[in-house]
Amino acid sequence: MPLENTSRPRLAAGCRWAGEGENRMVVFPEGALRLQDTARAVLERCDGHRTFEQIVQELEATYSASDPVKIRQDAVAFLERLRQKRLVDF
Amino acid sequence: MLDAPLALIAEITHRCPLHCLYCSNPLQMVSPASELTTQEWEKVFEQGAKIGVLHVHLSGGEPLAREDLTRLVSFAHGCDLYTNLITSGIGLSERRWDEVVAAGLDHIQLSFQDSREAGANWIAGARAHALKLGIAPMIRRSGVAFTVNIVVHRQNVDHVEEMIALAESLQPDRLEIAHVQYYGWAWKNIEGLLPSRTQVFESMEKIGAAQKRLLGTIRIDAVVPDYYARFPKACMGGWGRRQLLIDPCGKVLPCHAATVIPGLQFENVRGHSLEWIWRESESFQKFRGEDWMPEPCRSCDRRTGDFGGCRCQAFMITGDAASTDPVCSLAPAHGLIEQQLSRVNSIASPHKPATEQEEFWVYRSQPK
Repeated sequence: MPLENTSRPRLAAGCRWAGEGENRMVVFPEGALRLQDTARAVLERCDGHRTFEQIVQELEATYSASDPVKIRQDAVAFLERLRQKRLVDF
Repeated sequence: MLDAPLALIAEITHRCPLHCLYCSNPLQMVSPASELTTQEWEKVFEQGAKIGVLHVHLSGGEPLAREDLTRLVSFAHGCDLYTNLITSGIGLSERRWDEVVAAGLDHIQLSFQDSREAGANWIAGARAHALKLGIAPMIRRSGVAFTVNIVVHRQNVDHVEEMIALAESLQPDRLEIAHVQYYGWAWKNIEGLLPSRTQVFESMEKIGAAQKRLLGTIRIDAVVPDYYARFPKACMGGWGRRQLLIDPCGKVLPCHAATVIPGLQFENVRGHSLEWIWRESESFQKFRGEDWMPEPCRSCDRRTGDFGGCRCQAFMITGDAASTDPVCSLAPAHGLIEQQLSRVNSIASPHKPATEQEEFWVYRSQPK
């Protein structure tokens, strides 16, 4: 199923946040991911409650200097990639 | 600066109800009487978390053979460690599973020996296959992240499509199709386990098709076994670089097989802190970094990616732990691997019928 505006992305089973501050990472069965700004901003909002549309709106507000079309495209590509790795479900 | 170990493999016992022909445990196993106590393991987890460990992989033997498994999971979870149970599933009752899940288990890896019951039980030396099938639905229902692991080799790799179908029926998040690695008991049985080139590459093709078909549903992890690859695996992510393994009596090793290397003394958590062992002990420094490297590794661009391959394999095959892993096509001793492969690939039928030559195989024994 493709990512839609009404999708509510969330970390997949077996993936969770660990650590604090700069060391905050997503841990999963085979490893851990330390994410840079926008990627982290996207994934931290994937709580299973927010819809993808809400997530994008929040990102647009946070990164108001960036092109909103690009923000959306990047977020879609990022979440699709994580879903293929079984780190995110939606 | 020296990085923290990210993963701690806790081989909490060598006791196991299975006798798999390819077991990676050392031939010399730790007796139950020498195993670390609950409190000692707890201290290890606490120390690990403090120096930066993220994952604890509870392994064995069969970790369910330890009655305190739930408590160990709970303690590690309390240290904010990611807990992974690597199990055959034998001994996992519904009640016990509920307890382990409630204790905070993050992930379970359930092993299978084949898609076919007779073959699976033969490899395991135990009637285990049906029991495993029986508990998989219970695992799936719990919602805990679930990986099915199937170890492949010459005797079963031709069933890879059946194995994928089996995994699909069990609905894991992830399927790991892992070729046998030739250490421990597998090394003893290599003549019967090493697959042919045709087997390897045909199975990789079938796996590739399934990976595409199941994208986003079940992630399938599989790699070409190192004997058939051009370059070695980055064994353990580099010696003393990312991971450490603690054996049932507390000996700290850079990898599963490290005790085969003569002349290395491995320290014990009973005598030293984990931090000291990781940072300072001689065994962890021995092949850390690049100073130990011979040519062609020393001037090779790949040295920062594969770290010269596996030190144990280098020792087992060439007699020198500081030589380039012979599976590397650039290694001076690569001819030894080629000889082994040409022998395997000249066998007309890749299968050695199990029933005809029972004495050919060495089953994993039990620790005494």
